[in-house]
Amino acid sequence: MSTLLLEALRNSAARNPGAPAIVWRNTKWSYADLVSAAARVSNVLAARGVQSGARIALLMRNSPQYVACYYGVLGAGCAVVALNSHERANVLARQLEHSGAELLIADRDHVEFEPLRRLAAEQGVAVMPISLGDDEHSQSLFAQEFGASELSWAPAAPQDLAMIIYTSGTTGRPKGVMISHGNLAANTAAIIEYLGLHCGDRGLCVLPFHFSYGNSMLHTHLAAGATLFIEDNFAFPQVVLRRMQDEAVTGFSGVPSTFALLLGRCRLQDYDLSSLRYITQAGGAMPRPLIQRLRTELPSARLFVMYGQTEATARLTYLDPADLDRKLGSVGKPVAGVEIQVCDASGRELPPGEIGEIRARGPNIMLGYWRDPQATQQVLRDGWLYTGDLGHKDNEGFLYIDGRAVEMIKVGAFRVSPQEVEEVIAALPDVEEVAVTAIPDELLGQAIKAVIVPRAGKKLNVLQIKAHCREHLAAYKVPKVVEFASSLPRTSSGKIQRFKLA
Amino acid sequence: MADDLREQIRAFILENYLFTSDPDALGLDDSLLGRGIVDSTGMLEIIFFIEEQLGVKVKDEEMIPDNLDSVNKITNFVLSKRQAA
Repeated sequence: MSTLLLEALRNSAARNPGAPAIVWRNTKWSYADLVSAAARVSNVLAARGVQSGARIALLMRNSPQYVACYYGVLGAGCAVVALNSHERANVLARQLEHSGAELLIADRDHVEFEPLRRLAAEQGVAVMPISLGDDEHSQSLFAQEFGASELSWAPAAPQDLAMIIYTSGTTGRPKGVMISHGNLAANTAAIIEYLGLHCGDRGLCVLPFHFSYGNSMLHTHLAAGATLFIEDNFAFPQVVLRRMQDEAVTGFSGVPSTFALLLGRCRLQDYDLSSLRYITQAGGAMPRPLIQRLRTELPSARLFVMYGQTEATARLTYLDPADLDRKLGSVGKPVAGVEIQVCDASGRELPPGEIGEIRARGPNIMLGYWRDPQATQQVLRDGWLYTGDLGHKDNEGFLYIDGRAVEMIKVGAFRVSPQEVEEVIAALPDVEEVAVTAIPDELLGQAIKAVIVPRAGKKLNVLQIKAHCREHLAAYKVPKVVEFASSLPRTSSGKIQRFKLA
Repeated sequence: MADDLREQIRAFILENYLFTSDPDALGLDDSLLGRGIVDSTGMLEIIFFIEEQLGVKVKDEEMIPDNLDSVNKITNFVLSKRQAA
């Protein structure tokens, strides 16, 4: 049985209370600081009469305050609803409503704070605004807002709900992945094991904590007693590289577009990155030339190519760096405790070389989708998670990803449901019909294209469509290309043929 | 000259990230990242715009918020580069 997160954090704090846990801008929180800040949050929740099992939503950027709130919510016996800080207030409000959250703890300076506060009030959800201090006063500010730090954490059971992460669904039907304490513990332990994470590690995180990959980077570093540097500004990769050099960072994780940005405009050889022990890459297939370049420019760092999904907490497989050359293109083998099969439509396991749907089982597989038994039954069957990804294994059991069985666009590492974008565009009165598809994008892997049929006699323009999407959707969900057509390609049965739109 | 450049830069950001032609939607000193107007790939596109449309080469070490994080900062950066050229 893996150690649950709260206990793992307390263990790290007991071993080395003064060690830096989270470093963000000009503030540094030690393990002792983090535990006492998390205890403050737990106490505030208890004082407000929040019952164990309640959902508490968080809306804030990566920061030590997010981490303290996350662990504080768990410590109060509640579950975290980690809201996507890129998303718009109207989408977040629907997730808030769907989750049944009792309380929203939110950064009062977040761009969506005011509109979300109004919408939350209409739903009867209490809002606790907090300030994210980023200097030496950050902890006293946090203490003022939250109060006493006596530690009295409720014991959690592995099957208890710890977290809900909303992934892309239709706007009317948010899809909340339920992750248990046991899920987090198992995946954290498995990742620590294969990365060999230890208390001397200094990871740098550019991934949002509210997504599964960033979430796993956070918890693995804390459970290992390592230091995590938060860098929330990847728009300037040189700044990140300089920080990696100056802080002697030992680990860095990214998605393919992270590395495309790093290698696209920067000369890595201009920086001393000799401390960098490992790099991890997940969030979709990275083009092989990019992998090769990364290895050439950072020869001393071990590169872990990995595969997973939110429904599996984060990680399902990894490719051992020792196998990278001979198995280039593979996502490797299952992490400890996980079993992976490739199967046909009837659920029969396929032999090596044959492509089918990838299914997985293990202690990291989600409890299901929150308040959506129908969607849960579609993916959790006979003890397996059906990933919706197509793949095959080779003769040695290495897994290769061959595509998606489910219609989903991957922009950067973000999953976007075409239906969600279509729904938003279809709400415009002059739109007769619309279909959304993926197009190849050099930097992001895929981008979104919308093809729109205007109502007879009506004229629409591209800017108007994009502005409307931006008003209702996160920036990465706004179509990069918008075209108008007189009709959409359909099969004889009337189904839209998305592949013909690209 | 400076005003024309400023408006050209503002128009580019308005059209590509705010999807409007209304200049009131973007203050000249508004932080592009702080307001969530552009993300990391958007900043890369702005750098391409500066290089290809404005004819100014952006060096690695010049890609910092002080040069690029608002319409005024980009304008001042481009003007200083042109003067130095």
